Amino acid sequence: MSLLYTALDDIPKIHATAQKAFLAGKTKSIAFRKKQIAQVGYMVKDNEQRFKDAMKADLGRPYLETEFVDFLIIYGEARQAYDNIEKWAQEQSPDFSLNWFFMRPRLKAEPKGTVLVIAPFNYPLFLLLVPLISAIAGGNAAVLKPPEHTPVFSALLAELLPQYLDPELYHVINGAIPETTKILEFQWDHIMYTGNTRVGRIIAEAAAKHLTPLTLELGGKNPVVVDPKVDLTMTARRVLWGRMSNAGQICLAPEYVLVPEEAQEALVAAFREAYHSFYPEGPKDSASFGRIVNEAHAARLQKLIDETKGTIEFGGDVDVSGKYVAPTLVSNARGDDSLMSEEIFGPVLVVIPVKDVDEAIAFVRAREYPLGIYIFSYDKKFQDRVIENTQSGAVMINDTLITVAAPGLPVGGKGSSGYGYYTSKYGFDQFVHMRVSINNPSWIDKFAFWFRFPPYTEKGAKQLRVLETKLPPRPDAPNTSYSTALAFLFAAAVAGVSSVAFLRSSGRM
Amino acid sequence: MPTRTNPGAALMSTPPFYTPLDAIPKIHEKSWEAWRSGKTKSIVWRKRQIAQVGYLLKDNEERIKEALRIDLGRHDLETDFFDFAGVYIDIRTSYDNAEKWTKKQRAEFNLNFFAMSPKLRAEPKGVVLIIAPFNFPVYLILSPLVGAIAAGNAAVIKPSEKTPTYCALLAELVPKYLDPELYHVINGGVPETTSVLELRWSHIFYIGNAQVARIISQAAAKHLTPLTLELGSQNPVVVDPKCDLRNAARRILWGRFSNAGQICLCPEYVLVPEDFQNTLVEALKQVYHDFYPEGPEKSDSFSRIISGVHVERLQNLITATKGTIVFGGDSDVSKRYFAPTLVRNVRTDDPLMEEEIFGPILMIVPTKSIDEAIDFINSRGEPLVIYVFSPDKKFQDKVFENTTSGAAVANETCISAGVPGLPMGGIGASGHGYFTGKFMFDEFTHLRVSLDNPSWVDKIAFGFRYPPYAPSKMLHALMPPLPPRPGEEPTPLGRWGPWLAAAVAVAASVTFTGPSQRVWSWFDVQASTNAIST
Repeated sequence: MSLLYTALDDIPKIHATAQKAFLAGKTKSIAFRKKQIAQVGYMVKDNEQRFKDAMKADLGRPYLETEFVDFLIIYGEARQAYDNIEKWAQEQSPDFSLNWFFMRPRLKAEPKGTVLVIAPFNYPLFLLLVPLISAIAGGNAAVLKPPEHTPVFSALLAELLPQYLDPELYHVINGAIPETTKILEFQWDHIMYTGNTRVGRIIAEAAAKHLTPLTLELGGKNPVVVDPKVDLTMTARRVLWGRMSNAGQICLAPEYVLVPEEAQEALVAAFREAYHSFYPEGPKDSASFGRIVNEAHAARLQKLIDETKGTIEFGGDVDVSGKYVAPTLVSNARGDDSLMSEEIFGPVLVVIPVKDVDEAIAFVRAREYPLGIYIFSYDKKFQDRVIENTQSGAVMINDTLITVAAPGLPVGGKGSSGYGYYTSKYGFDQFVHMRVSINNPSWIDKFAFWFRFPPYTEKGAKQLRVLETKLPPRPDAPNTSYSTALAFLFAAAVAGVSSVAFLRSSGRM
Repeated sequence: MPTRTNPGAALMSTPPFYTPLDAIPKIHEKSWEAWRSGKTKSIVWRKRQIAQVGYLLKDNEERIKEALRIDLGRHDLETDFFDFAGVYIDIRTSYDNAEKWTKKQRAEFNLNFFAMSPKLRAEPKGVVLIIAPFNFPVYLILSPLVGAIAAGNAAVIKPSEKTPTYCALLAELVPKYLDPELYHVINGGVPETTSVLELRWSHIFYIGNAQVARIISQAAAKHLTPLTLELGSQNPVVVDPKCDLRNAARRILWGRFSNAGQICLCPEYVLVPEDFQNTLVEALKQVYHDFYPEGPEKSDSFSRIISGVHVERLQNLITATKGTIVFGGDSDVSKRYFAPTLVRNVRTDDPLMEEEIFGPILMIVPTKSIDEAIDFINSRGEPLVIYVFSPDKKFQDKVFENTTSGAAVANETCISAGVPGLPMGGIGASGHGYFTGKFMFDEFTHLRVSLDNPSWVDKIAFGFRYPPYAPSKMLHALMPPLPPRPGEEPTPLGRWGPWLAAAVAVAASVTFTGPSQRVWSWFDVQASTNAIST
């Protein structure tokens, strides 16, 4: 299917329409926002089958994966935003402070304006609609740019969005590089981009011209660190599930496993067992295994597999024209392997033997910060050792991927895996500006702040010093609270001793 | 802030306090190494460093004030009020709250996920860069530094080369008071800053003007570095004729003439109804004479302009204006003096309205109505702050609700920056991200989420996720219910209806079937009312 692209000439009009609708103030009403949020939910709910079929057509993705990742999270986000928006958008007061209380300091979450959301092909439904819910909750107008690599889905979204949502405020622009380039010429009030670092840089440079704030959710090579004392069957199932879902095309998917050399064989055997239980009739005929988004990516994966110096334990076969890459396990890989040269973003799991946990940590530290680090261990010390000595967007212990679905936990990268947050209140905060306000009565100047007006006087300087915030204790000075306590104890002791002495001397003891 | 650079700067030899270019990558490397060592993980350690920033200031107050007298011709009281007070507040707030801010937080309770103990931990971003302008070189450098330390980062600070005395002093004091491996000062001009920006930082915190902000953003884009940008703007004042006139005049002129108008939060122009312009001008004149009874040039309560070049820039603006000068307008380049100036009858297209003035010139722009004033504001870039002087809540709301700005301040100027718990932050043309307090701490922090999922969870709830896939009732049970469909929201009676029905049914079952069946019939009713409501 070929996707109908938005005409280049229409792009400036869409931007202008969205901006105008935002400035008209329609989104100020919280009731209006709630209706639109609910409508996002019903747009999906009423068309679940069509969305599942679209993802099946575009990515060969099994229905259950669309239900679990896309629907579950979108409904949860819609519900959470709907139920909390009054609280999130409510005017707040800072902590009470005597000097400033009378100025009535307040903070209010106001919309940033007209925002742009660009999402990749792997989870376009989730990655467009969850930010859309946050943007609506924040009171913004929004333009969505779905990926051109998922034509069935992108056409469906362009068809449904205007049916369910306000057609002036919320828009879909479809297209490829020329359309995206055009979109990026405009001044947006925020851009949320999910994708890869290369495009991330292009978007950041376009945003820099307009000083537009950004949220960047980028991938990364997410490591798994395995403690050999863990239940290897559970480990293998959860890691393989995370790697093979959506045929490995998940930014949070585990990409490589660091395991002590002596445990590699047992772990590989556990992976084999999980693999056979997942695809009893072989993955190619399984209804539970997806396809690669396009032939180019299938060919890229084939090349990476062909060049590996590791041992292919299972899989490795590729059918480029069928966009099929078999679930593949490669063991005995090294840090300089072809499979370690870039984010794989496909169903290939790499096992790298290491001496011990310290070598595993050093291996992770030598690379860019990943979006997620996975630790499989029951040992709190082992877990903490890895967590405290590494950097990453998220940490998961004894599971993979699932933080995304946990309500109240944002998704967000660090360093080359991006910055800013997705989902829940954190997603909302990306799309709002905290506008502060005070209202200072005239009489304050009679009591407190009169000294600020010229001509400056010595009396004024003294008054200012009265208001000065006290510093914390000097770090190298003797600890005063401790010495006060000692003095008190000493005094108490002296009092005790002397009273005993007094009582004795007076013959009462 | 003004966008011109000093054309003569390139001709001058490098001042002695500048950091040698080849030392810059070494400082960067050293900071990373120190940060990776994990020294900043201890909260106790961070608190000591935060306190040390305070004592760096306290022990050297006199020297710092003297430096700013030299660099900015500024009265000590302004340094106390605008520079020291803000840092002391941030030191105290960060010191007292460091444990709270960095404590592991649990995500809100959710039945499906609580067994996985989802948590968030505030972790440092890494090695951050702080670049600040000349106008408040203590506050705008050291408050962000306190935020960066509290969050556990290493930091490199780059003060403005336009305050050379202060720069040299800071470079001397920072290594004496703070950990010399983690915290560094880099001094220099354009070549040094360019070299700094080639390196990869975990966050860049920039305060200054939009032109430089674009350069910094471009450099940051190459490394995908997150940014905080605090930019100046032409901040409007909207005056309601019903306001407390003397108060308005005092607070506006104070905000405009403090630090000789070199404040990013300064009121720059006043929108006033045409027929009220005379009254306001008279009040401003009166206050002007109160402030500088012997004239501003002799007054020690009026600061100087940062450089002769900027005095010339202001001169050119004043020469070009088509407005009427009420007072001031005179200047002395050699003394870096520019008089406090009031210009009335300024129109939209006046040269004074083209860029941020960043000097002691206040413009009065007469308008026909409040709507015209609002349109005037909205036709320009989003300001850092909008000021309204009016006792009338409706008047205030009308302006604030129909405009966009970093802050919305009624009956006051500038002071919102110092209020604890209120961050400073722009929107659109005035930047993004926040300065001061917990909000600033968040700029320097990454919230790292974590969970720990026990094996048994798969047996009870999440087993359906593994291939081979089969239709799963459990997955459908986990699906959060959507909000009511718009147009079908329950009426107040509708919401209580099922409960009312349940109450009636329970009462009926008690009456007719006796207590032994109560519980079961209650469940039946629940099931049936649930069916109704979904």
